Amino acid sequence: MPNEVNAQQLDTIVKSIFATMMDVPIGQSDTPWLPGGDRLTSIVYLDGAWNGAVSLECTASQACQFAGLFLSMDCPDAVDDDVRDVLGELVNMIGGNVKSAMATGVRLSMPSVVDGDDYGLRICGAEIKDRLAFRFIGGDFWVTILAKDDAISTGAMQRSVAKVN
Amino acid sequence: MDILLVDDSKTMRLILQRAIRQAGYRGLTVVEAENGMQALEKLKGERPKLILSDWNMPEMSGIEFLKELRATQNNVPFGFVTSEVSLEMKALAMSTGASFLIGKPFTPEAVEEALSPILGGV
Repeated sequence: MPNEVNAQQLDTIVKSIFATMMDVPIGQSDTPWLPGGDRLTSIVYLDGAWNGAVSLECTASQACQFAGLFLSMDCPDAVDDDVRDVLGELVNMIGGNVKSAMATGVRLSMPSVVDGDDYGLRICGAEIKDRLAFRFIGGDFWVTILAKDDAISTGAMQRSVAKVN
Repeated sequence: MDILLVDDSKTMRLILQRAIRQAGYRGLTVVEAENGMQALEKLKGERPKLILSDWNMPEMSGIEFLKELRATQNNVPFGFVTSEVSLEMKALAMSTGASFLIGKPFTPEAVEEALSPILGGV
């Protein structure tokens, strides 16, 4: 089993979660990452045999719509704990499925959610491995896999071992 | 108490309650807990027909909760509902005494398929 997930697998995971849990078909978009104001980021960390993180970024309005669809209720007017909980659960599902597609020995953290209109999120030693934009009501949202240096070197090492063999 | 539902996410507890109803099990009493520690407290003096638990939770994870249960000879049927369904975790869950794992995302049909051998058909 590989020790990393590619963009195609990530695309399949995200689409499957939105279709199954919200009955919403979503498609990928070519929109570049545009961090705007009034947005939310939910994130889970993976460590062990692979180190990195998976994040989901969207606008506050989209997060409210996710919550309404996920819980089959009217779309909340504003971001509240239920909306944050849904966003955390969504990234937890994405991260869990990413983890399951990897080799053994990877642990998944609890999800964290950040919201506001002026923040940046930096994971020390990590770089973007894959960032996918998905079309949704009101614009696009982004799902990103960040790999820490040791994860990248581990992946590279495994590839070179595979090549030698 | 018929089913003990253990998940730190209020959202997921709500979704699972709905999935249980959609699977046809409407008359059952479902009690919720936010983690394994809280679940152990709620189980005192109770013997539900089934425990449905998340894996990744604060305070006490699902697998720690299951180990604790089995260590006290509590053999209530136990199923995981988790986003992490690797072969490694399936093997650990089954060897510890779980009856099934439902992967997230899940459909109401997947919940029904997992629950019916334990709760009976509806």
